[in-house]
Amino acid sequence: MKKRAGIMNLFYVPAIVLFSVFVLYPLMKGIFLSFTNWNGYSQTYKMVGINNYIRMLDDQNVHRAFLNTIIYGVGSTVLQNLLGLALALFLNQKFRGRSLTRTIVYLPVMLAPLIMGYIMYFFFSFNNGAMNDLIGIFGRAPVDWLADGRRGVFILTMVNTLQFVGISMVLYLAGLQGIPDMYYEAAAIDGVKPGQEFRYITLPLLMPAISSSVTINLIGGLKLFDIIMALTSGGPGYDTHSLSTLVRRTYFGSENAGYASAIGLVSFVLIMVLSNIVVKCLEKKEVDL
Amino acid sequence: MKWKKLMVLLCSAAMVCSLAACGSGKDGDSAGGQSAAEAAGDEGGAAPAESGDGTTITFLTNAVGNKADALRAACEAFEEETGYTVDFQVPGEGYEELMKTKMAANELPDVFTTHGWSVARYSDYLMTVNDLEWAADISDQIRPVITDKDGNMFVLPVDMDIAGIICNMTVLEEAGVDPDGIQTWDDFAAACDKIKAAGKTPIHLGGKDNWTIGQYFDWAAPSFYITNEAKSHADELKGGTFDTAVWEEVSGMLADWVAAGYFNEDVLTADYNSDIQALAQADAAFAFYGNGGIVDTLGVNPDADMGMIPVPAVSADDKPSLISGEDIAVGVWKDSKVKAEATELLNYLARPDVLKGLAEAAGNKAGLNGVSADVGKIGEYYDKYADVEAFPYFDREYLPSGMWDVMCSTGADILAQKDGAVENAAKTMEQNFNDKYVAE
Repeated sequence: MKKRAGIMNLFYVPAIVLFSVFVLYPLMKGIFLSFTNWNGYSQTYKMVGINNYIRMLDDQNVHRAFLNTIIYGVGSTVLQNLLGLALALFLNQKFRGRSLTRTIVYLPVMLAPLIMGYIMYFFFSFNNGAMNDLIGIFGRAPVDWLADGRRGVFILTMVNTLQFVGISMVLYLAGLQGIPDMYYEAAAIDGVKPGQEFRYITLPLLMPAISSSVTINLIGGLKLFDIIMALTSGGPGYDTHSLSTLVRRTYFGSENAGYASAIGLVSFVLIMVLSNIVVKCLEKKEVDL
Repeated sequence: MKWKKLMVLLCSAAMVCSLAACGSGKDGDSAGGQSAAEAAGDEGGAAPAESGDGTTITFLTNAVGNKADALRAACEAFEEETGYTVDFQVPGEGYEELMKTKMAANELPDVFTTHGWSVARYSDYLMTVNDLEWAADISDQIRPVITDKDGNMFVLPVDMDIAGIICNMTVLEEAGVDPDGIQTWDDFAAACDKIKAAGKTPIHLGGKDNWTIGQYFDWAAPSFYITNEAKSHADELKGGTFDTAVWEEVSGMLADWVAAGYFNEDVLTADYNSDIQALAQADAAFAFYGNGGIVDTLGVNPDADMGMIPVPAVSADDKPSLISGEDIAVGVWKDSKVKAEATELLNYLARPDVLKGLAEAAGNKAGLNGVSADVGKIGEYYDKYADVEAFPYFDREYLPSGMWDVMCSTGADILAQKDGAVENAAKTMEQNFNDKYVAE
């Protein structure tokens, strides 16, 4: 039995090697670089201790990117799940064109985020942008939608939501279709109202789907990158940067690879902590079918 | 049972070996921006691989469009002549990031273009070209730009980027602006007022692309820091001192122009293409780009009356100037395993007939004496401003590497009219200058 266990242990080797080469080594290297002043390409660098981390405390660009990242993560998650659930409840009903509607809602998921960003750039452009054409119909002057950082962050959150709401919808549809009809039949016999039915049957039994959807959306929102690059490039200035895009700009643009590594590590910790808290909270609420 | 154990061990060993092989690809992570086939061809990074009986020379360039096509054609002709294979790659926008990754791994392409940084960034990685036959013919206008403090040169300057402020002459004429009358920045502002009054955009700037903002500083800063010999800060900058008061003047002028409404309304969200469109359609007068901007504008509208003016001076006691720098500059990696063959390619590109075609594709003067490139309309301006003194790109010559992005980001805050943006720009520039200067 021991021999068999020993042989079986060999099967861990590929996974361990994979993990070590592609996760552990880069992580260790990243941690090490965060204590240096490496510019990202030269063969030399100096150790600077925790200077990069101290610098982050005073860096307004990092603070802004940190706040934006939270908004992208939490904002997208809330919107995607509310919209996704509403769409799933609606599209779980039987009506003509249901499949077509589901496909249309899911379609943006199949686009690369970069493409989605470029499409939306033309949508929000000042000159000949679709939004300005639309408001022009009502006699309104054109607006430079992405010129204001706060509005830019809101638009980016909405675009991310629009693109990935289909994933939430599919997860909730699967969850809804997994709830046995007998619960609803029993509730109907007891004279339960639709609102109570949703609150006491549908919602608790959807907890596994909610858990999956929230976690996926949260991680996706926190590491938002492509859409920002295509739509605003993080601008104006640094106003719409997330931590991910800021890492890229700091590493390659400002040639501060050491500092970028420190920001990257903070981003890693943020995603890990937030997603773990959310998963733990949701796990407690999950109901076994 | 023994066979089973053996099979398990063999399978595990095979998987581990294959993984190790994946990890050992020298440039596995730096193939971004290339096609799969190209990336596969580049396996092992810059280390040349034998292809059939011939030698493969890897050639990476930042050039795109006409320039890249001309370089590719030259490489193909070289292949036919020598039997070597040139693995010509155009990563596009990702070029600079790709090259930084390759420098970090110390695995560079055999031949590559240096986009203005042959001395400040790439000189440690390039072979010197002082002893090559054509080195004596390098134009005096570009020679100082590509020479380090020890007199070493590292690239073949195929052409020279001698630039002023590009402009649509039709717009200037309609607004009653005499381009020859623009000698100082005050004259320039007066011209902008006239253009604005005529209902056109004086200056078009696509700030979404970021680099477009840095262009303003590269164009304007020399007139404040360098061109006036009596007030030159060149030695201070080279010695590691950054004068924030002067930078506040440079930034302040940009802020004044924003407040005066000289820029397009979507200055923060428009891109380079929209600048070109506006110039091509005679909606805008000026843009801070090199002659490539003229070539691109004429590509959109061949009938556009495009020209250039020298960069104005700060005051009447100075003269307008031009900006000079590398455009297509090609060097050979000093540790290339096919250095002799790569040098042959460099010599081939330096041949007058080949160099002429490349310079014409770029729309610039050739970088070697005795080669006369027909650059069409732009040629008239080269002749007109032949006596105007040219100064190197400000950031490449006087700032440490890595400052470009700082200029772009602080400039964006000024364009967005943020509170204290001008003072903050000067402070941020000084802080980064000091950090990076010490680091170098």
